[in-house]
Amino acid sequence: MSINIWIVVAGDPAVGNLIDTARSLGGQVCAAVVGSRVVADTVAAGGVDKVVWFGEPGKAPVEAFATAAADVIEATPGVVLGASRASDRVLLGAVAARLQAPVLTAPSSVSAEGDTLVVTRSIFSGIAEETVTVSGPVAVVLDGGPIPVANPAGGSALMEEVSAVTLGMTVVETHSSDFEQVDLGAAPRVVGIGRGLKAPGDLAMIEALAKASRSEVACSRPLAEGLDWLHKDRYIGVSGQHIAPEVYFAIGISGQLQHMVGVRGATTIVAINSDPNALVFTEADYCLVGDLYSIVPALTDALR
Amino acid sequence: MKIVVAYKWAPNPQDASVGVDGAVDWSRAKPGISEYDPVAIELARRLAEATGGEVIALTAGPKSVDASMARKAALSRGFDRAVIVADDALEGAGTTELAAVLAAAVRHIGDVDVVITGDSSVDVGAKMVPTVLAGQLGWPAVAEVTAVSGSDPAAGLLRVERAITGGTQVLEITGPAVLAASTDAAVPRVPGMRDILAAGKKPVETLEVPALDVPASGTTVTVTATARPDLKARKGQLIDTADPAAAAAELVAALRADGAI
Ligand SMILES: Cc1cc2nc3c(=O)[nH]c(=O)nc-3n(C[C@H](O)[C@H](O)[C@H](O)COP(=O)(O)OP(=O)(O)OC[C@H]3O[C@@H](n4cnc5c(N)ncnc54)[C@H](O)[C@@H]3O)c2cc1C
Ligand SMILES: Nc1ncnc2c1ncn2[C@@H]1O[C@H](COP(=O)(O)O)[C@@H](O)[C@H]1O
Repeated sequence: MSINIWIVVAGDPAVGNLIDTARSLGGQVCAAVVGSRVVADTVAAGGVDKVVWFGEPGKAPVEAFATAAADVIEATPGVVLGASRASDRVLLGAVAARLQAPVLTAPSSVSAEGDTLVVTRSIFSGIAEETVTVSGPVAVVLDGGPIPVANPAGGSALMEEVSAVTLGMTVVETHSSDFEQVDLGAAPRVVGIGRGLKAPGDLAMIEALAKASRSEVACSRPLAEGLDWLHKDRYIGVSGQHIAPEVYFAIGISGQLQHMVGVRGATTIVAINSDPNALVFTEADYCLVGDLYSIVPALTDALR
Repeated sequence: MKIVVAYKWAPNPQDASVGVDGAVDWSRAKPGISEYDPVAIELARRLAEATGGEVIALTAGPKSVDASMARKAALSRGFDRAVIVADDALEGAGTTELAAVLAAAVRHIGDVDVVITGDSSVDVGAKMVPTVLAGQLGWPAVAEVTAVSGSDPAAGLLRVERAITGGTQVLEITGPAVLAASTDAAVPRVPGMRDILAAGKKPVETLEVPALDVPASGTTVTVTATARPDLKARKGQLIDTADPAAAAAELVAALRADGAI
């Protein structure tokens, strides 16, 4: 591609997938990096040609640099890639607005044909796919991927520091809470629990099943957002994690599209639900119609 | 304070049907207020109750977004008035175009202090309209917002709490700003009979796109193919659970036979 390829980085250097995708398009790759120097250096060493860095952010949140990022990219517009995380979306949104560029989400493939971009992507929570060709500036939202590994041959991209006029935003408090990080994507088996669970104390029963089946515990969105019984990184679906384990146990989960789209890659799906008409049974290999409170302990015993 | 809530009137893809060629048929999917937008409305009402001021509903879409049922569904949720951009030219409009129309409508309303949106729309679900909208206006944007108050409303200062990975953060923002509510920011009130009756009397301003100043995009996007995702065939094997222990044994045996455990 002879047009410009940008990636926007919002304080989190986990942009390996953006860099790989940008590189595969075959042109010069520039990164607009908001965040600390460490983040800028990580991106610079990770395989881009040039980094534009906005300086140490101090008390300004990443989002305060949205206009500055748009200013920089507007000078040489093109294909702009950003991660799907909240702050990254704010930067990318500001850039898309400035370029009046369409936004494409959930791509399964991004490639270049001459100067047009060809994107195949999932639409409407995954009920369909479309392939589009795009000519002109465009913003693409994709999974950030891991932190890029530094080029073993050493060497790093050209770094240009620009001074930025920030928007009027200040971080006045940050509270962190401990949570156990989990890589659901790497788990061979996952036990997913939904609103069929009556009380948070009943999670012990689910954990026992997870232990007996050597699975990680995951959940539907309401259990993580709203009920707060599990941490947000454990929910599966269109707006959460996408996983493809060998076995997924969907327990007390109705099986709505927005959840199931995150587990469609599972080799085997086991569904346990008291409602024989639950949608989850239409996408399961093994269907157990009944009360999870009697089936889960029995299953745990059988696995021990 | 002048608070705008951007809500979408849209159907759930769960209820759409998809042809083998990937064509989406929405005819049996009934539109409604997008699932998480009532959370934004609730945040806006709390802010209005605390600081005084009005809450204005804003939506953009094809003519159907201005149907009387659609208007009532929105206005019964406690808005003071509504601005509806209803134009069939917006059928199938993309994120950036919709955000540009909404931005133009926000400018048209004038003197807006804050725009609150939902987390993601039920149909498109890109989580991008709020951020592109902010970009169009040149305003700060924050997503995953869990609470908002006017720390010094007279000076246009907003105190915004948002969820970050493994914690929360409080920001002070010089407004105006666009805030996208996290799905669990508030539990929306359910409209009662009185609200539904009052809805019919609230003022509504309906606009068409040409009445607004909407910039054009120089990019062309051409759909060259559509497809239905290739889903794995599932066995759908029913296991009798009359005796849970026997059911568990049968499942474990089946999973072992498959080499799954
Ligand atoms: C834009 C958008 C994005 C979304 N993104 C996601 C996402 O990423 N992930 C996600 O999960 N959801 C997502 N959702 C929400 C999704 O649409 C569903 O609302 C959600 O997945 C339902 O969760 P659930 O199955 O746990 O709860 P419910 O739908 O309430 O289902 C509970 C199930 O438990 C069963 N049950 C009850 N008691 C028992 C018992 N004793 N034994 C056995 N079964 C029992 C019931 O029969 C029922 O089927 C999204 C929605 C929207 C609009
Ligand atoms: N056409 C629209 N009219 C008004 N608000 C919208 C529209 N589309 C999206 N929004 C708002 O933006 C949020 C995110 O939408 P999306 O980017 O489509 O996921 C929604 O929850 C709404 O609050």
